[in-house]
Amino acid sequence: MAELSLHGVSKSFGSVLAVDGVDLGIAHGEFVVLVGPSGCGKSTLLRMISGLEGASAGRILIGGRDVTNVAPAKRGVAMVFQSYALFPHMTAAQNIGFGLRLARVPKAEIARRVAEVAETLQIEPLLGRYPRELSGGQRQRVAIGRSIIRDPQVFLFDEPLSNLDAALRVRMRLEIARLRDRLDATMVYVTHDQTEAMTLADRIVVLNHGRIEQVGPPEELYDTPANRFVAGFIGAPAMNFIDAAIEAGEGGEPQVRFGPVSLPTGRAHDVAPGPVTLGVRPEHLYIATENEADFRGRVEIVEKLGSESLAYLQTNFSAEPVTIKLAEHPALHPGDELPVRVARERFHLFEETGAVL
Amino acid sequence: MADLALVAEPVKRFNPWPAVIFIALGVLALLFLAPTAGVLLSSIKTTRDIALGQLWTIPSQLFWGNYAEVLANPAVHRYFLNTLLVTAPATVASIALGSLAGYVFAKLPFRGSNLLFLVIVSGMFFPPQVILIPLFRLFNALDLIDTLYPIVIIHTAMGIPICTLLMRNFFATVPNALREAAILEGANEWQVLTRVALPLSLPALAVLATLQFTWIWNDFLWPLIFTQSDEKRTIMLGIVNLQGQYSVAWGVQGALSLIASLPTLVVFLFFQRYFIKGMTMGAVKG
Repeated sequence: MAELSLHGVSKSFGSVLAVDGVDLGIAHGEFVVLVGPSGCGKSTLLRMISGLEGASAGRILIGGRDVTNVAPAKRGVAMVFQSYALFPHMTAAQNIGFGLRLARVPKAEIARRVAEVAETLQIEPLLGRYPRELSGGQRQRVAIGRSIIRDPQVFLFDEPLSNLDAALRVRMRLEIARLRDRLDATMVYVTHDQTEAMTLADRIVVLNHGRIEQVGPPEELYDTPANRFVAGFIGAPAMNFIDAAIEAGEGGEPQVRFGPVSLPTGRAHDVAPGPVTLGVRPEHLYIATENEADFRGRVEIVEKLGSESLAYLQTNFSAEPVTIKLAEHPALHPGDELPVRVARERFHLFEETGAVL
Repeated sequence: MADLALVAEPVKRFNPWPAVIFIALGVLALLFLAPTAGVLLSSIKTTRDIALGQLWTIPSQLFWGNYAEVLANPAVHRYFLNTLLVTAPATVASIALGSLAGYVFAKLPFRGSNLLFLVIVSGMFFPPQVILIPLFRLFNALDLIDTLYPIVIIHTAMGIPICTLLMRNFFATVPNALREAAILEGANEWQVLTRVALPLSLPALAVLATLQFTWIWNDFLWPLIFTQSDEKRTIMLGIVNLQGQYSVAWGVQGALSLIASLPTLVVFLFFQRYFIKGMTMGAVKG
């Protein structure tokens, strides 16, 4: 069983605290994705798990064994790098078998296992080629092959698809998902691509400034973000944030007011009056009839993405344009006035501190 | 057609610069080649022809006697052997030590490593004459005068700065991810160096092998200082020694000069492909 646990793991580079007391438990066979903005510490955390970076404080346990001070090769981890990190002077087969050669495994055994891995990844015809003779996707397959041949307990992926073009990224994403099902191994995956995170992860860990903001299944992070940062980070296009205020409405029911709009908060618990931020995803705003509309917005730009379109609306209550997601090809033009309704029960309220209400 | 007729042919103005540069380079090449041509011509002439002052004339018939004399001379064999015994270990040792130091400076930096790197590289600018007497006294005290050891040691030491500089700069271009990938696969630093970094640094190694071999093979100063007997002389001293009691044997010296330069030429030709690549490395992306 290869469960992975981090206990108060920190890392500082001089006076810069890159990872700040991270506690995280990952079950055997779980696929966990670390996401966060650049410099949030996700790659550093991954490198600490691999052993390439020492922890300044805390403990790392793999399969119940404390590996905090254990050499990288003896931790039972394998890592796939963003740049593939294939050895240019070795063929694909030599790259895949490199670790076994170092471990002085007999040649026949290496050849057998390389062939086995190549079959799994469908790269048998490429084994004799050098990395320079391979495409980006093929290189990444070879890199994955090198990582799986040693049968590690934990797989670490450091933005493995970032260097691929969009179409190839989708294909490789599928391959990694299949690999996950086939290998039954614990996987930790770093990415800044939300689609990768949402589609691959059993659980997503959102990091910011070296701290965990929220951990949970993708749909939980999407539906019930713990704070404004997670709400803004998860979901594409990003959530709209509008300055608002909680006021006592008729009958004492708290209302959230922004500009001329007043909506029932819909919260069962009491909400104290005061300034808040209203968060609503573009897909939870609709073009409504004049009677049903909560506000009107003037179309500034329309982005047609094929299967959907995004319209950026100027309003009289927000300096930032409000984004609304629409069906395929709406007959909209800049300057058009749109009546918009906010989906009840789907908006979020955040305190000034950023915590969800 | 009328439109085409209106488009005037661009006037090709004569640019004299390529021609000027070509001529200047040609003159320089001739100046560089002239001594070699002189040596070559003198090596295939009889002593009498040379004595008559016909150095630059083409001989009416080729005289191979000078080459035969040189190749049959047991002293020349010894000079070659001595030079090889100095050049091979000093070349290998300086490159090996430079590679080790370069790897540490490029991939395993520590506090003060940049300063130490500068100190080592500054050794390149150190005039050897300054340390000539102290070194003579040192090796004399160690009873190593008239042996080949001092020459090997000095050439190894003096080669370390350039070897460290070049190897450090080359290793710096080897992505860190390769080292990390190798470490995760179970490699120690020595295995990273020998199995990943060095095989990727063949151009730099070829450049250094050529430069070091040529420099040490052609050296005159250090063998002159540290060897005394003819048994320990290297080839460059041997050329000077090959003279008659009352006359200079121009033909024989010319023949030996050309034979002596063959090993460096062979080394250069052997590494030529890597050498050119190494000299231009990092000049363009990719």
